[in-house]
Amino acid sequence: MTTAKIDRRYLLMMAIGLFILLVILYPLWQVFFRSFVDAGVFSLKSYRKVFSYPSYYRALFNSLWVSAATGALCMLLGTLLAFLVVRTDLPLKKTLRSLLVLPYALPSFFAAIAWIQLLGPQGYLARIFFHFSGWDTAPWNIYSAGGIVFVLTVHYFILVFITVAGALERMDASLEEAARGSGANTFQIMSKITLPLVLPAILAGGLLAFIGALANFGIPALLGMRARFFVLTTSIYYALAIPDFGLATALSSMLVLVALVSMAFQFGIQKGESKYTVISGKAVHPSELKLRAIKYPLFFGTTLLVFFISIIPIFSMFLTALFHYWGAPLAAANLTLGNFVYILKLEAGRRAIVNSILLAALAATITMFVGVVVSYMHVKAKLTGSRMLDFFATIPYAVPHTVMAIAMILAWAKPPLSLYGTLWIILAAYLAIYLPFAVRTTHATLQQVHDSLEEAARVSGAKLFPRLRDIILPLARPGMIAGWILVFMPALRELTVSILLYTHRTETIGVVVYNMQDAGYREIAAALASIVMVLLIVGNVVIRKLTGGVTGF
Amino acid sequence: MEKIRIVNLSKRYGKVIAAHAVSLAVEDKEFFSLLGPSGCGKSTVLRCVAGLEEPSEGEIYIGGTRVNSTADGINVPTELRPIGMVFQNYAVWPHMTVHDNVAYPLKLKKLAKGTIKTQLKDALYTVGLERLADRFPSQLSGGEQQRVALARALIKEPEVLLLDEPLSNLDAKLREQMRFELKDLQRRTGIPILYVTHDQSEALAMSDRLAVMNAGHIIQVGAPAEIYTHPANRFVADFIGLMNFVPGRILARSGEEATVEFLGSHRLNVIDRSDLSGECVVAVRPEDISLSQTGPIRCRVEVRNYSGHLIDFKVRADGAVLRVQTPKTAIYQEGEELGFTIERAMLFAVRESSSEGIGPVDGKPFAT
Repeated sequence: MTTAKIDRRYLLMMAIGLFILLVILYPLWQVFFRSFVDAGVFSLKSYRKVFSYPSYYRALFNSLWVSAATGALCMLLGTLLAFLVVRTDLPLKKTLRSLLVLPYALPSFFAAIAWIQLLGPQGYLARIFFHFSGWDTAPWNIYSAGGIVFVLTVHYFILVFITVAGALERMDASLEEAARGSGANTFQIMSKITLPLVLPAILAGGLLAFIGALANFGIPALLGMRARFFVLTTSIYYALAIPDFGLATALSSMLVLVALVSMAFQFGIQKGESKYTVISGKAVHPSELKLRAIKYPLFFGTTLLVFFISIIPIFSMFLTALFHYWGAPLAAANLTLGNFVYILKLEAGRRAIVNSILLAALAATITMFVGVVVSYMHVKAKLTGSRMLDFFATIPYAVPHTVMAIAMILAWAKPPLSLYGTLWIILAAYLAIYLPFAVRTTHATLQQVHDSLEEAARVSGAKLFPRLRDIILPLARPGMIAGWILVFMPALRELTVSILLYTHRTETIGVVVYNMQDAGYREIAAALASIVMVLLIVGNVVIRKLTGGVTGF
Repeated sequence: MEKIRIVNLSKRYGKVIAAHAVSLAVEDKEFFSLLGPSGCGKSTVLRCVAGLEEPSEGEIYIGGTRVNSTADGINVPTELRPIGMVFQNYAVWPHMTVHDNVAYPLKLKKLAKGTIKTQLKDALYTVGLERLADRFPSQLSGGEQQRVALARALIKEPEVLLLDEPLSNLDAKLREQMRFELKDLQRRTGIPILYVTHDQSEALAMSDRLAVMNAGHIIQVGAPAEIYTHPANRFVADFIGLMNFVPGRILARSGEEATVEFLGSHRLNVIDRSDLSGECVVAVRPEDISLSQTGPIRCRVEVRNYSGHLIDFKVRADGAVLRVQTPKTAIYQEGEELGFTIERAMLFAVRESSSEGIGPVDGKPFAT
């Protein structure tokens, strides 16, 4: 009976191992492997191609500088806002804070679409600018590298904001009080004590923004391709359209390499930060800086900023969805609900909604199941080899989604088992990219279930499956539902993977929004995007309720 | 009949030895405690009996059945061992009612509904919870949750009951009360108990026998009174109850009586069956010292602490500070010059060999 029990747990682990091998390890290996192969033999031809054609090595260069610029701007904006919201007596801090997080809850290509609506040649803000300035061309161009950096910054600054705000909140107030006691003034304290202490958090957040910008596809695709400005992700998309798999895999390997190096740095910084005992997990309340005379000017400025980056884009999307045609003057006669009716009647639209809901539900359910098993083996049963499984399951976290899509094509779009053109290949990619999130949430949830609760079940006579069914799963349920929604929501509006893997009949919501926007049917794209936005916001509210505000955006 | 027998049990975590060649037996209807400071290995032994840890070496028998043998590769999983267990944090399942918590072991046995109902009623009655059956654990006090855990452990009528510091999360008043209840429960049900605690007064009060552990070793096994009056070594003497340690020198021996010189040139005859000679440590319990105006060993009262049922003094005599406890009627004041006599003392070696598993003795062995 002893051996039978152990076999069953290892059997389960082997099944999960096989799953990870099929959807993560084998496809990623294919990308790496194919980049070094030409006509069946080892070759560096693809890499030589990247470095001999300006359009390709420029893409690498563009990716690096666009991401670096984004990271730097995010550090500036995120740190400034974190200071204001955490450490000063700014009014309405809580409201401002939750509004700041809003843009990140929406997909980045929605942000690109919204900013095109606002700042594009016919954009709402552009028109207001023309009206007041009397100019007939704007001094800016959203379809440019600058436009990409701008929208990326608005989308990713929150990563710096969250890490810095967290570090500021955990900081021991006595450190600053000690400086004040030594006769330092507020400015000296901030620059000599506070800033150096949160510097690791600023850098770590900046690197997260850098990695996000590097892996982003939607923003450079919608804003850059029209201006023939390519970055790595869009070049990979282009190489696949040719199709040149050697080139696509070589570019992908380089993208993964840059992402991995940045992630290693980021990890190192965060690990280093935890060595400082001064920033502890204790709930201390740092003193609030009195803003005095500049309090209301700063409040006004911050509110205006939040209004622009959080509220206006969403408003713009809804407004655009209501227009008869893009560019129509703002008048009641030009407003209609027809676009919503149109998209819901359109066969491709309906199909995309069904496909996306199906894919998102399947991806959320399967990744949560696998996540629970992996986490249980690792956190609770502590079986040999479970650590390895855990590590492999989190690998896709470091892999840009574009690369994951190529990996699926290479692994599963060839005989004997070709899934290309089916929903299954999209599902496989979703499973790979969302598994790390599922593992992470189930980890945290299971860690909260005290070991003795399971031990008490064992003493009561419960074997593995009864105690999973009666004790572990019911106790982990709230966390698992939240985790399920956390996978379901991003999967519902996924673009990067779907756009590379879809064919006729396997469109997803993201694909239809993108294609409609790209083809110029902006009011239709906006209508579908608006429906999704409402779903996402409702989902967020549900998660926050479920987890008591711990997870969700 | 022995209900638990542990033979040469060792447990290693990497290089750390948590339990070292532990052997003991718990008789039927016996309340047996494992007592020791935190990290001494007592919980490890208990968890090995429960099957929650696998021994590195040794054998364990429960109710005559061998459940562990490293030599023969036997390790019966926890869920098949005839045990009930109560955890330090009770481990009452928060998503189940009292009824469902207690009935769970029977449900797993797939007993008939009627049988479950009768047994459940009995179990809830035994711990006095019959009126709270439909409550959820969050609606119960710590003491009530404790009883749920007890009822759940008892309901499957195990051969033995394992208790892992079950009282340490309760407040002081309730803890005292639960001592009586636990013992009473054990007398009524007759179930043998293996009890783990770091609280020596708890172990003394409840146990039929106890084993004092330190650094993975069992130092002494015996009835509470035996261990209190005849501690096997200085560690036990120090860990159980209060004890004063003063350096001394053995001058002569005749039979089982040793003459020892200490506190300057004071001499005392002590019953001592050891073969100590020369330098030694004289150990005296605070209640074995009688203060009086005329006592031969002169001292000065430094601190007087009134604690209701007795009075606690710290007195200085010839460079040493001694703890003395007197009945609450003692009228001596701080700063007063007094004398005392010693009614009973024990002798220990200055250095105890580490092969006995003696770790550093906490606190200061020699008063200054």
